[in-house]
Amino acid sequence: MYFPYFIAYIAIGLAISLALFFWALKNGQFQDQQRARFLPLRDDGGVQPARVSRWGRLQMLALFALVSIGLAASAASLLYAAYLRG
Amino acid sequence: MIADTKEIFENYATAKAFCLTSAFWMMVATFYGLLGATELIAPDLTANIGGIVFGRVRPTHINLVLFGFVTPGLLGSAFYFIPRLLGTPLYSERLGVATALAWNAALVALVATLAMGMTQGREYAELIWPIDLAVVAVFALAFFNFTMTVARRREKILYVSVWYVLAACILTACTYALGNVIWRPNTGALVGIPDAILLWFYGHNIFGLLLTPLSAGVAYYVIPRATRAPLYSHTLSLLGFWSLIVVYTHVGTHHLLQVPVPTWLKVVAIVDSVAMVIPVMAFLINIWYTAKGKLGEIHADVGAKFVFTGTIMYFFVSIQGSFMALPDVQRVTHFNNWVVAHAHIGVLGFAGMIALGGIYYTIPKLTGRPLFSRFLADFQYWMVLIGMVGFTIVLTIAGLIQGNAWLNGETVYRVLPEIHVYYVTRAGLGLLIFTSALLGFYNVTRSLLAKRGAMP
Ligand code: HEM
Repeated sequence: MYFPYFIAYIAIGLAISLALFFWALKNGQFQDQQRARFLPLRDDGGVQPARVSRWGRLQMLALFALVSIGLAASAASLLYAAYLRG
Repeated sequence: MIADTKEIFENYATAKAFCLTSAFWMMVATFYGLLGATELIAPDLTANIGGIVFGRVRPTHINLVLFGFVTPGLLGSAFYFIPRLLGTPLYSERLGVATALAWNAALVALVATLAMGMTQGREYAELIWPIDLAVVAVFALAFFNFTMTVARRREKILYVSVWYVLAACILTACTYALGNVIWRPNTGALVGIPDAILLWFYGHNIFGLLLTPLSAGVAYYVIPRATRAPLYSHTLSLLGFWSLIVVYTHVGTHHLLQVPVPTWLKVVAIVDSVAMVIPVMAFLINIWYTAKGKLGEIHADVGAKFVFTGTIMYFFVSIQGSFMALPDVQRVTHFNNWVVAHAHIGVLGFAGMIALGGIYYTIPKLTGRPLFSRFLADFQYWMVLIGMVGFTIVLTIAGLIQGNAWLNGETVYRVLPEIHVYYVTRAGLGLLIFTSALLGFYNVTRSLLAKRGAMP
């Protein structure tokens, strides 16, 4: 008879989740949501913004080309395999 | 006093310890993966070497990936950003470092015991009882440290990442204990069908209540910061959080659709697997709208690039997963390499990518210096990406061959030669990923320990 374990677990889990949810509701965790959006940015002072360099863009293009060639090669080998089978 | 606080705030010993842990165990975990892949091509290669037969290599690989590489990587950045989001230092760096040490001791014990054949033989729950206790303890310690930090916070509102990280730690401590049937030390199992149900309730929670929330927490922090844009909607993020808690806990039985478990439970699992689209899209819409028009900034930060790619993989793995939970689809995809492909998109492409991204985003903040080599990190990014996408392609093809063959009543030994070439390709890709882990470990160690950064 395993159900008592399961039911006890479900009941405890549900109770804790609900308690936490209502704590959050009462504690104002669902208010002031506009300010909350900015929380990760708060201590941003002094950090240089990431720069988008020309080299970076070139690198992206080159890598993109490489990946395209790789994908094209995979597609070609798949087509070739299909052709051989057919 | 102020100087003290500043020092503690800027020391981040715990975050560093977890980043290092992750980089180290990624090497070991991917080595075991490569070894397993090689054994699938050449089964006699390690014949008679008891410690590294396939049956021991596989559980070592997956346990190390989950608990050695991905989880510590995600916790590494969490130990950095949780104090920052709460405006207060971590409750105890000492406790944090002790947790990291205990974590590593448990991982060493994991490798040793599995190599000696000491296993409880249930997937994701192989570890023997004393190690189970250690795993529960380290999650509980991490939770305690985070909760005490929350209690001392100066910021009233808990940002969504805090919710996710706290939930991941405590829910894993509980479901791990439950799923490993910790109250039965000898077997670590119930019997019969209830055991299978319990095991997969736990098994899916490892992805749904550990890797997913930790990864979401990291992405919700890194993407706004890297793009220097506020989160698109905090309300939506909370909606995503609560719906994840409600929905993800019910999907475990989709691993058992072809097993005689009660039909009502299968129906619940299938319906909720499809309903997973709600938390998944709530998260993705939020992250992608935050990053909208700022892909240049994301590309410029290698950590953010890893994280953003991880969110794209999350889209693929989740949509695929919802389909895989449909019985008609699963008649072909179950019990073959299709699932292995899915697992690698999820654990490596989504959670692993975000773990690496978190590490690379966080390390310069921990040390106050740029990464030792941005180039190496970038190189690792492409190696992991190509390896992971390659895995997906070859394993999916192999899975479809196997699935269709078995559906048509073909015998196994006739199918094996057909998938051999895919296994060979897979081992090649595994080598790529293992090599990338070596580069990563070198880069992370040099970045954390060396006095100066060397760019690029
Ligand atoms: C909406 C989200 C998802 C759904 C509905 C889903 C669904 C599924 C289903 C139905 C299976 C079982 C396939 C079978 O045995 O035939 C499965 C397996 C698996 N999933 Fe997912 N998945 C989701 C997301 C994820 C994520 C995010 C991860 C990783 C972080 C993940 C990792 C895995 C792994 C590792 C397995 C293999 C389990 C095994 O060893 O058999 N999944 N998933």
